[in-house]
Amino acid sequence: MTAILEARGLTKAYGSVRVLEDVDFDLQDGEAHVVIGPNGAGKTTLFRCLSGETRINGGTIRFAGEDVSGLTGAQRVKRGIGRTFQVARIFPSMSAFENLIVAIETRERTHQGLRFTFGYIAPRRAVVAEAERLVTELGLEDTVDDVAGTLSHGDKKRLELAMCLALKPRLLMLDEPTAGMSPSDRAEAVRLITRVRDSYGLSLLLTEHDMEVVFGLATRLTVLHHGEIIASGQPEAVRADPRVREVYLGQH
Amino acid sequence: MYDIGMTVFNGLAWAMATFLVAAGLTLIFGILHILNFAHGGFFMIGAYVSYSIMLGFGGGLPLWLYLVRAMAAGVVVGLLGWVVDKLVFRRLRDVEDAYSLIATYALLLICGGAVTLIWGLNYMGVMPPPALNSVIFLGDMFMPTYTIFIIFCGVAAFVGLELFISKTRTGRLIRVVAADPWMAQLLGLNVKRIYLVTVIVSFAMAGAAGGLLMPNQSLSPELGGIFLLQAFGVVILGGMGSIRGAFVAAIVLGLIESFGTYFFPQYPGIFFLLALGVILLLRPEGIMGKEQTA
Amino acid sequence: MIDYRARFRSNLAIAACGLAAFAVVPFVANSGLMFLAGLVAINIVFGMSWNLLFSGAGLLSFGHAMFFGGGAYAMALVSLHWPGLPFLLGLAIGAGAGALIALVFGVIALRRASGVYFAVLTLVFSELIHLVITKTTFLGRNDGLVGIPRPTIETGLFTLDLTSATAYYYFIVVAMACAAFALWCFQNSPAGRLIQAIRQDNLRTAFLGTSIFGWQLTAFVLSGALAAFCGAVMVPFTQIASPEIAYWTVSTQPILFTLLGGAGNFWGPAVGAILFGAIDYGTRAMHGLSEITVGTLLLLVVLLIPGGLLGFLQHRRQKKRRKPTEPAPKRTEAQP
Repeated sequence: MTAILEARGLTKAYGSVRVLEDVDFDLQDGEAHVVIGPNGAGKTTLFRCLSGETRINGGTIRFAGEDVSGLTGAQRVKRGIGRTFQVARIFPSMSAFENLIVAIETRERTHQGLRFTFGYIAPRRAVVAEAERLVTELGLEDTVDDVAGTLSHGDKKRLELAMCLALKPRLLMLDEPTAGMSPSDRAEAVRLITRVRDSYGLSLLLTEHDMEVVFGLATRLTVLHHGEIIASGQPEAVRADPRVREVYLGQH
Repeated sequence: MYDIGMTVFNGLAWAMATFLVAAGLTLIFGILHILNFAHGGFFMIGAYVSYSIMLGFGGGLPLWLYLVRAMAAGVVVGLLGWVVDKLVFRRLRDVEDAYSLIATYALLLICGGAVTLIWGLNYMGVMPPPALNSVIFLGDMFMPTYTIFIIFCGVAAFVGLELFISKTRTGRLIRVVAADPWMAQLLGLNVKRIYLVTVIVSFAMAGAAGGLLMPNQSLSPELGGIFLLQAFGVVILGGMGSIRGAFVAAIVLGLIESFGTYFFPQYPGIFFLLALGVILLLRPEGIMGKEQTA
Repeated sequence: MIDYRARFRSNLAIAACGLAAFAVVPFVANSGLMFLAGLVAINIVFGMSWNLLFSGAGLLSFGHAMFFGGGAYAMALVSLHWPGLPFLLGLAIGAGAGALIALVFGVIALRRASGVYFAVLTLVFSELIHLVITKTTFLGRNDGLVGIPRPTIETGLFTLDLTSATAYYYFIVVAMACAAFALWCFQNSPAGRLIQAIRQDNLRTAFLGTSIFGWQLTAFVLSGALAAFCGAVMVPFTQIASPEIAYWTVSTQPILFTLLGGAGNFWGPAVGAILFGAIDYGTRAMHGLSEITVGTLLLLVVLLIPGGLLGFLQHRRQKKRRKPTEPAPKRTEAQP
């Protein structure tokens, strides 16, 4: 396996507060890599740095061999990094279906040229067909015509996942994909994520709180604590690591 | 030497006249986070009200009566502020910024319409009171006493407002609400009342400014718009409702404007706009505004 | 799923009704009213150009007069100094002037400011342009440029004589219909949907891989070009380009139209502009009354029905339609 995402010496500070300190992070092609850690450990910041939502203060990030440290989030998306947000971000006044249409059309816009801006008064058949396929694949049939802002929490997350899949990413970053879900919804979400990972051949990077979800999904586990990586490896090995136990069980 | 002195003097005159209008505007912007288009309208109403009072007295007022008249205009407009807060501003809390900006523009329209209906479309000229209608020579610089008076008023308004905000109980409460209305509510402060006080003070200042500045202008229903843009510039450049910032911004813009007009007399009014545009582009958060984080 | 084609057809039907109404005006009204109707037609598209920014891209412009005035002055200059130039080319130059102003301003301002600050920057820029016009001899200073001729269009096959007010009125109606159609196509194209999306959640659109700045700039330039086109079309009608059309009160006109009619609806600015024209005409005898009426209406709209007139009607209709199938849930009698 080769590393699809490599971060070296990643440093991020907000004002004088250093949230990430010289972090080295690798993500192998095809793995489902979960980052865990107590609140305030820097998971979200790591996520934001890797996805390009925020600028890093030091270090380099390489994606598929290319240095993407200086690229914006949008430019990284074009190179194949998709991401979701802790609180699902969708277009609330559009219908769920239109959300998908926008995502698909946006992916295709570079091939469309000027036709993108004036050419069609309705989405093209191929786009609609693709959106319909995503709807079935993610089980959104009951809610496609609803205004996205009125969807339930879980449906919003699924819709966001579908929009990200429409971009055909190589690496998908999921920020707390099951936050705020009931246990049964969580199990369902784990099955869904595993399924799309297999069918799309995705590499995954996740942060997650719920341990069942973590061990249900992870092929590799990294523990972040006070902005530093204290353990990384096979889930079972990390679980047994004494430093991790110390952090989580608080035996100082 | 003469030229520089005169140019600075003119710049200060511009700055203080503008600050008189902007002071109330910046107060509402800082506390209610509403950029009040209608401020210019109520400034104009203040000018017209004091004009009407003057007609009642028959002109040629002594200085103290002239001041009383401006205060009376302030009181009238302050009362209007009370009405406006009850009817409009109170309902703008949960409205998008864009919509509240447009709502205050609607108020400005109503003000302009009301002034036209009541006082008509004609221009009306007003002379300064006799006590201020002279010129002081300093070396070979001549300074109209009225202009000196306006500069004095501007400084007095600044000092007064600063003292009000920092030294009085109400002022401190206003600051608390401005910093964190949610926390203020939690502490049991009557936030609504403090908003109301802010609006009344701000409107009263607009009205009084109208009464004070009236002799410099020819009154017409367009008066609101002329000062409004200058005051807007000062408030925005001063940062989010910072009174000190507005004061500094007024002086900076006033000096730029008067020096610009000195070198290019054919383009009055342009340099203030140019400077405002450039400074805003360099520092969108204004002179005293906070640096954005991340 | 949304039936896009049906939506297109119903909008086409609305447009046809509107066109028919404008077409009969010269037959039923005097020349004064026809003049007003021509201005209303221009105002409709002017309002729509503003709404493309406001509802489309989520940008509040208080400076649309700079585009409108820019287009008008460009047209006036072209027709006074190059009378031989084809009229339609003049219109294109007018629209191009607006696009250019929008591009220059947008490149600088869109990166630096947002929200209220952006609005004030547009106001400042537009006032700057107004002031430059009033101080420039070339542009006629405070008097403006007068005596602008109405054109004749040579098509090669036949000559279209637009020198009479009525003929030019029809030209306005056709030109505005074309402009509105182009705008509709843009707003309902993939790009239009994308710009909508940016307004609703700009972070999400960034993480769909698009440049927010680029698309907002596109919307800004298109809006500026369209507003300038309106200004350019108006000039031969009124036969004067005066500095007032670049004054900031003109910038607030499309805001009035759009919000009165309903910002959420493509036809909102049209309804608003017609309503505004009617109020202006109805209260023309009494100075100040029209401002008070319009101001009060606008205030009511903002405070009570943010969807504007059309939003209000739509809401009522939906309520009525829902009634027979699913009655509103009864309030529980016993409150804890």
